[in-house]
Amino acid sequence: MTDYVIEARGLSKAYGDFQALKPVDFKVPLGRIVGVIGANGAGKTTMLNAVLGLMSFDGELSVMGLDPSKERGKLMQEVCFIADVATLPKWMKVAEVLDYVEGVHPKFNRSKAMSYLGRTKVPLDRKVRALSKGMTVQLHLAVVMSIDAKLLVLDEPTLGLDIIFRKQFYASLIEEYFDEDRTIVVTTHQVEEIEHILTDVIFIKDGDIVVDEDMETLTQQYIEVMVAKDNEEEAMALGPIYKGVSFGKSTCVYKNKDRETLAKLGETRRLGLADIFVATMTGEGQ
Amino acid sequence: MNIFLTLMKREVLENQNGYIRVPVILAGITISLVILAMLGVGELNFVNSMDHHEVENFGDALSLAQQEEGDELPAAVTVGYWALSMITWMAFPFVVFFSLLGSLYEERRDRSILFWKSMPVDDWQEVLAKLLAPVFIAPATFLAVTIAAQLTIALIISVVTLFQGGPVLELWPVGLMIVGWFTAFMHYLILAVWALPLFAWLLFVSSFANRMPFLWALLTPAVLIAIEAMFFETTELVRWIAIHMGGWQEFAFDGFGRDVDIDGPQELFRMMTSGWQGEALSYTLTSGSFWFGTIIAVGFFFGATEMRKRAT
Repeated sequence: MTDYVIEARGLSKAYGDFQALKPVDFKVPLGRIVGVIGANGAGKTTMLNAVLGLMSFDGELSVMGLDPSKERGKLMQEVCFIADVATLPKWMKVAEVLDYVEGVHPKFNRSKAMSYLGRTKVPLDRKVRALSKGMTVQLHLAVVMSIDAKLLVLDEPTLGLDIIFRKQFYASLIEEYFDEDRTIVVTTHQVEEIEHILTDVIFIKDGDIVVDEDMETLTQQYIEVMVAKDNEEEAMALGPIYKGVSFGKSTCVYKNKDRETLAKLGETRRLGLADIFVATMTGEGQ
Repeated sequence: MNIFLTLMKREVLENQNGYIRVPVILAGITISLVILAMLGVGELNFVNSMDHHEVENFGDALSLAQQEEGDELPAAVTVGYWALSMITWMAFPFVVFFSLLGSLYEERRDRSILFWKSMPVDDWQEVLAKLLAPVFIAPATFLAVTIAAQLTIALIISVVTLFQGGPVLELWPVGLMIVGWFTAFMHYLILAVWALPLFAWLLFVSSFANRMPFLWALLTPAVLIAIEAMFFETTELVRWIAIHMGGWQEFAFDGFGRDVDIDGPQELFRMMTSGWQGEALSYTLTSGSFWFGTIIAVGFFFGATEMRKRAT
């Protein structure tokens, strides 16, 4: 058994002339929550589809020690995913969805699913078609959380949901599902909502991985300074990767600079993940 | 095995309309027609062949038939029930056609393929389930409805006959009815294995067509047939398709039954139930065109599986 849930070396995907994913290397260990963050069309879904065995790819890729492009069926015993669109079959009743999963998945625990659903308003005898968007996601989450898998991949799982559903979604994921024997890979645009649960971050830009760090290291690297008026020249000399203005003061973002030095320029603070992402994508911080 | 049963169950659920509702509705219509007819033949004195002064209703007609053609009656009744079931079975080819054509197409259109693919089921298992559903499940549900309808019709006619004082027991040739149901199923199975290359073609179309699988399924062979006719002035493809649609029976039963003079329902029934399937099976297993068709079917099956592996 490998120590890594996902190991990719030179993983790439081209559609004709278009290089959707440039050759990338990355490793995801067990017991992590990895955020894959990138703009639309940056290659997130391409990367995840390769990991899930949903498409062919070039390079080496091993997920749970298996080749996803050849052994998807076997792989899905250990891996679960929720794609970025509503995929539950609309013509099925909720109870029939559970019957089906129980019939094909050896690691599905029906009573667990029932207890999750018992806390929602999802009616068992209703067709998926007739459920609200929020209920559909609750059902899907109840199904995947009741499967004893090692890797859970969530591609924009909360798209189109209101804030209360989104909060509940991540709360139940952390409180009732995640442990050191599982790994979750999640992509979302609502970076603020997941940054406190992430242990690792991968930034993707134009089909390439530009950042692959654990959260702690990443957030320590970036410091924003509200530069005091007299220190502007000095601040520029230190080579900020991103410049902005807030409340009439100029702000500079630095990567890998000594905190003590920066503190002399003005008030410092750590950057949130969203700001780090923006700084990385638009500034010279890559 | 459990996985396969679950997949089959899902096929039934997904095709509920075609597999269950359509035959139930058509059988319901047939039963209504029977009820209307029974109400109408309370006074039966207009049928020429039964122009006997003592025949006034259905019960009388049955009594007369019992007296004059007693040997033939059980088979005649059974064949009669099947004649009434034909309305239901007329829908069957359409149900099979459209369920195959939609099977791998709809799941891509509504994106549910991503849910199916998140389960530990291999693509070939999914495709096989979708290919075998019209071979086993569709005829089973149609037959179940047929059996229920035949029993209901027998019951309705029995009640009427009872009131009219006719020989009610003659309406229940149970042994023959059971033989008939079994035979129909077996016969369909042989028809279906012959039609497998056509089934697999529809499945293959449904696995790759991004739009209008219906046109793909029908226009492609139509164009090929036209090209063949224009450039080679032959009709091999259309013949091949016709043979796999049931035309093979022409050859399988060549000579079989020709020397038998079918003079009555009993002969007809006996011929249809005894030996016919055995003859068909031995013809099938030794037929080159059957095995060639099976290879074609396997080819389309693998094509459909490969397409599904790549589909998202």
